Amino acid sequence: MADKAILFDSTRCTACRGCQAACKNWNENDENIPTVENGVDARNTGSYENPPDLSTSTWLRMRFTEVERQGKLSWFFTRVSCMHCTDAACVKVCPDGALFYDDLTGFVAYDKDLCTGCGYCVEFCPFDVPRTDRNVITGLAKMDKCTLCTTPGLNRLDAGEKPACVKACPPKALLYDDRDKLVALGKQRVQTLKAAGLNNANLYGENELDGLHVLYVLEDSPDAYGLPVDPKVPGVAIAWQDIIQPLGWIMGGATIVGLGLNYLVARQAKIRKEQTAKKEE
Amino acid sequence: MAQEIVRYRKATRVLHHVHTAAFVVLFLTGLVLFIPQLSFIAQGGWTRVLHRIAAVIFAVAPVLYVLFNWEAAKKGIKEAFTWGAEDIKWLKAAPGYYFFNDESKMPPQGHMNTGQKMWWSIVLVFGALFVLTGIFMWFLKDILPAATFQWMVFFHDVSFIVTGCMLFVHIYLGVIHPLMTEAWKSITKGTVSAEYAKSHHGKWFKEASKRKPKGA
Repeated sequence: MADKAILFDSTRCTACRGCQAACKNWNENDENIPTVENGVDARNTGSYENPPDLSTSTWLRMRFTEVERQGKLSWFFTRVSCMHCTDAACVKVCPDGALFYDDLTGFVAYDKDLCTGCGYCVEFCPFDVPRTDRNVITGLAKMDKCTLCTTPGLNRLDAGEKPACVKACPPKALLYDDRDKLVALGKQRVQTLKAAGLNNANLYGENELDGLHVLYVLEDSPDAYGLPVDPKVPGVAIAWQDIIQPLGWIMGGATIVGLGLNYLVARQAKIRKEQTAKKEE
Repeated sequence: MAQEIVRYRKATRVLHHVHTAAFVVLFLTGLVLFIPQLSFIAQGGWTRVLHRIAAVIFAVAPVLYVLFNWEAAKKGIKEAFTWGAEDIKWLKAAPGYYFFNDESKMPPQGHMNTGQKMWWSIVLVFGALFVLTGIFMWFLKDILPAATFQWMVFFHDVSFIVTGCMLFVHIYLGVIHPLMTEAWKSITKGTVSAEYAKSHHGKWFKEASKRKPKGA
């Protein structure tokens, strides 16, 4: 089956935040009164943007980036949530297999039961998306992030439904379909925008990290939206997972085999020496 | 009965066992992070709590030892980093001895032989690295830039691999190797026979027999 994707068209988005509400509602993240104690830091920060950050119970939020256009205040709206990378740093560093690639759609799926709370995904994600509710003293934690509505028991895709955020979007700024189709559609949309005079319009996510499963139509550079221009799996993650860890297994194995060999040889040598000593007596 | 020489005082032995126990717990609760098939053990995060309890013991025990046994600690640390031409000779002769029982080329050793000094300096350096990177990962996670945290995890893992492998070597030499007949006794009872001291730590034996036997 072909990879699936979400296409977010920032030029159609009105930032109604229906997606935010639908996401919380469907994924049962709406039970908390938004307070810091409940993990949602909802306070007025001098912007329409709210809450100010993702959390374990806020998997999607709209970012408002203020810009000046023709002397007037304007916004760039950015959908901030898991980008479902094809080459995902979080999957690479997750020690428990709690984060994995969904075979059917290519999404970065998540099995919360398997998460042991190490938080490596939080620190290695190039988009700064996963969040944990970590107890600083005991270290007990659980991560949470967008599962693209594939959470077991709440799986909309298996039921033939679109993700909740897409379903809720009134101006159709969010679309869900085969990834190939959406890439083509996104490119077409970029051409239209360019023809309308938006020369910096671009499609974000086609090739980033071998292809994101959330594609963005932007009217200016990703930078202007607060998105990383060239997101990468951190070099440390590659050095750690692909070099140091295999080396560690080899070293560990060689040590144990070497010690075993040493025991066999050294015991023989000792017995021989004792026998020689006896003979000399 | 043959003459016994004190090799490790009680405080040193207690520190050794406490530190080893803490390290084994840290090693096993850390190891589950490298074998996805074992991750079910870590579910619920109890291994993380255990890892932290052991980490406190691992970090605090040596500090207490140093505070109450300053002279011995100073001597011990100095010993780890005192290296000379004799050590090169030892390294060259060691395979012949440890495999083929050929003692002829082994230079007489001090209180610690070259191999023991290697392990001891690894314990000091990587032990400190463990504690330092661990403190960052435990308490400063929310404050640190992501890149710093990533390197902390990296070096924590490097320390894990080096000390983990060397721990096998250490246990093997202390308990299993056919020629290390009194190593286990020296760390449990604290003494070795004069005969063992003479053949394994010739230089130390000479010094120790000159003054009143004391050990480190």
